Amino acid sequence: MANEKVDIVIVGAGASGSVYASVLARAGKRVVLLESGPDWELSDLISSEIWGRRIKPAGAPILLEGKNPMTYAAQGGWGVGGAALHYFANFPRLLPTDFRIKSEHNRTHDWPISYQDVAPFYDKVAREIGVSGDAKAEERWRPAGEAYPMPPMKTFRNGDIWLKGFDAVGIPMVSAPVGMNSIEFNGRPACLYDGWCHVGCPIGALANPQITYLGEARKAGAEVRALSTVTRVLTNQAGTRVTGVEYYDARQQKQLQEASVVLLAAWSAQNPRLLLNSATDKHPKGLSNASGLVGHYMMSHHVASTWAMFDEDVQNHMGTIAVQYMSYQHYPKTSHDGAFGSSFITAGFALKTTDLANSRPDLFGPELADYMKRAARNLAGIKAFGEEQPNMENRVELTSEKDEFGMPLGKLIHTYDQDAVALWNANLEEGLKVARAAGAKEAWSARGSIPTSHLMGGTIMGTSVADSVVDSFGQSHEIPNLWVAGPSIFPTAGASNPTFTIFALSRRGAEHMASQWATLTN
Amino acid sequence: MANIGRRGFVKGATLGALAITVGGAEIIISAGEARARGVPFRLLDAHQGETLEALGETLVPQAREAGIAHFIDQQLSVPPQEALLQARIFNFRPPFAEFYRAAIAAVDAGSRKIFGRDFAQLSAADQRDFVDRMRQNKIEGWTGRPGATVYAVLRADAVDVVYGTMEGYEALGIPYMPHIPPEKRW
Repeated sequence: MANEKVDIVIVGAGASGSVYASVLARAGKRVVLLESGPDWELSDLISSEIWGRRIKPAGAPILLEGKNPMTYAAQGGWGVGGAALHYFANFPRLLPTDFRIKSEHNRTHDWPISYQDVAPFYDKVAREIGVSGDAKAEERWRPAGEAYPMPPMKTFRNGDIWLKGFDAVGIPMVSAPVGMNSIEFNGRPACLYDGWCHVGCPIGALANPQITYLGEARKAGAEVRALSTVTRVLTNQAGTRVTGVEYYDARQQKQLQEASVVLLAAWSAQNPRLLLNSATDKHPKGLSNASGLVGHYMMSHHVASTWAMFDEDVQNHMGTIAVQYMSYQHYPKTSHDGAFGSSFITAGFALKTTDLANSRPDLFGPELADYMKRAARNLAGIKAFGEEQPNMENRVELTSEKDEFGMPLGKLIHTYDQDAVALWNANLEEGLKVARAAGAKEAWSARGSIPTSHLMGGTIMGTSVADSVVDSFGQSHEIPNLWVAGPSIFPTAGASNPTFTIFALSRRGAEHMASQWATLTN
Repeated sequence: MANIGRRGFVKGATLGALAITVGGAEIIISAGEARARGVPFRLLDAHQGETLEALGETLVPQAREAGIAHFIDQQLSVPPQEALLQARIFNFRPPFAEFYRAAIAAVDAGSRKIFGRDFAQLSAADQRDFVDRMRQNKIEGWTGRPGATVYAVLRADAVDVVYGTMEGYEALGIPYMPHIPPEKRW
């Protein structure tokens, strides 16, 4: 069934898609967002770890391979708001060095833009959706920018208790920037510090898309079609322009949505899957894939977690899932001998009972029951996010297996290289030093398989079709009215939680799209 | 709540996880209450239920009474996109029942090989010994997903029913502090 042509169809109603929808709908464009999951409302966000799984991925699975499979399901989203409906809202930014790894270290590739190109959009996003933090304190490590619109969040003993340890090993910690309200902001209430952020904040204290950009977009007339799964991007016969998308609606009926512009904002694994599945005789390797790079350079952050038991009650049920303290002290790429890559160090976060149990996965039976009682009072943790370098072999490709709509499943192959393994180990060793210096009674590293966090890459940005899939705004090098948004356009990963950068890059891309609209639709 | 069509997806919180049919009427009760009432399983057979209870109790004390088998059974009976099982987070492909059936079969096969009896018939000490070996992938001839994975998933399910509920928080003395409390205190 064909639908009336619109100006732009956006595939995915998460963080990046909602920014584009807001900017373009407010510019008077007719916007349709197609989202494969349900249309969640704030009232659906039940305070329960068990119920919170409803907003985690439930569509066609991405098959996982490689030595370090990307365990994405806990972080992925399903439904309107995407992963940003339940994200932790840690808002560190990338630093200038992230944009210049090739220039500074002769490794991998530079971004086609600099920190200074993105910095104004960090500030703009902070003003628009609200960020709490202490920008001045961060500026010991980064160029100066605007102050955050809200003061830092409250801290709790589960965060404060680490400061002595960090100080002892020479790591200054400052208030962490978060996309949460420390005070009332734009009519949204202040946070209550009950730690349910990760299953969705129903009071509006956390800046999820529903109450920020997507809410604005809807007010401006954007239409959201939930339970609508896009399977192909369509092109004209010459293959020079995209004409819309094919999708299956809530009743599993095939639909066509024509549009002047198509934006893929469907997450790092799904964007390449869609481009690859949209191959035509003019684009036999998939759309925007003359480079052969669609699906490649998938990246993750490895997380080095250190747990510790203290003699005192650290009130670990209080706070947010976002962190209270952060440091860029080991962000320079060569901070650790024998390892390469940035580290972003964090401390202080609320824990739920699942976290308590997962902090000692080896325990079961009566030993686990005893441990849970102690952990409920005395457990606290710190985490260092580590950068993985982009690697061609880490990739998404199509398989011969099909989903319920006949679309090939995606396979995500991922293995950490020696740089990543060395950096993860260095961060774990440092974490133990911090814990001991903080006075922990017991301390241990979360060993086992190396975690994967924050999926990025797959449709990276660059200067030309020779080295990338899209330009710095997300526009395809090959098809001018095909755009891509979200972490899939990151050419390198940095070590900072990515969503603030996703918002900033999307704001930049959306403004550029709006300003160039006439060239896109001719 | 609204049934919005595709795959029978139901968004509301009152249908789904713990809606149990009793005497022809669907009521909302906890898994522990379902067990106490002797509510029949929907998908599991009696042996599978007994084995899940034995595994759950070995992994997390009180999981049997908290209704781990009824919880898993009920979750397996709803469409996978509504299921609240950790299998979803482990990126298992639906139907999730295949994992549980295969896991129970692998556990029993291993148990018979080592102890000559099904897992549910073992003493508590032997059950513990078996689970410890399974956790470390040290059961010879094991088939299917690794023992460590079975351990992790079933342990997570047991943690859910014992510690993931409002009652579980209360038992540990942790304030639950919900914005929107779950139905039947889940």
